[in-house]
Amino acid sequence: MTRGGLWISGLAMAGIAGVYWLALLGTPTERWQGLSQKILYIHAPAAWAALLAFGLVGVASAAYLFLRDIRLDTFAEASAEVGLAFSAIMLTTGPLWGRPVWGSWWEWEPRLTLTLLLVLLFVGYRALRNALDFPEDRARYSAVVGVMALVLVPFVHLSVYLFRTIHPQPVLLKPSAPSMPWEMLRTLLTSIGAFTLLYIGFVTARYGIGRRRQQEAG
Amino acid sequence: MNQEQATTGGYMVAAYLITAVILLGYFASLYRRGRR
Repeated sequence: MTRGGLWISGLAMAGIAGVYWLALLGTPTERWQGLSQKILYIHAPAAWAALLAFGLVGVASAAYLFLRDIRLDTFAEASAEVGLAFSAIMLTTGPLWGRPVWGSWWEWEPRLTLTLLLVLLFVGYRALRNALDFPEDRARYSAVVGVMALVLVPFVHLSVYLFRTIHPQPVLLKPSAPSMPWEMLRTLLTSIGAFTLLYIGFVTARYGIGRRRQQEAG
Repeated sequence: MNQEQATTGGYMVAAYLITAVILLGYFASLYRRGRR
């Protein structure tokens, strides 16, 4: 499973190299934001992959609390770690876009603050996992923390509608048509596809590593 | 290329490079743990 996950990840990384080429050479430059607008093609897909990863931690954690299947806990652990990797991209590319467009690296506004809270929740989730020795206790307690993602992830997505915020509104995940010209939308959709495949590859590989560790531990 | 393009281009290049480093680094971490 680990090997398969690494192959899928390698394929997805080649896809992301293609996204780089498409974004930098095959997509027009936006008139007002200039070249910094092209950061969107990695920031938004990374944010999507991070929220997908954390959302699935929530689903797996809730399922674990009902079914007590240790594989669900292993999946949650894998997805949380992968989510933190994508969060690192989201939290570094966001300020690199904000500085030239907003004039500041960070704003304590609802979307950014809630996203940071979500990421810190999962930093705590990892710390909790490392602090507990018994697998059953670790799985049960971390599932209680993981299930909070089911509340926070939709809240993060909807925060731009619920509060006054300077963060841009969703381009794709909204009731009306995508608010972007096709040349740009094509690059964004390709990138979302590549990041989703990368999430699948990373989480499959990490799940395989987690399962092997359990088998070695007996 | 004018001054403004050079500045926004700098932020864009930084973002793309950081993304590549994080993705390659995490892939290498999984590869190393997977082979052990």
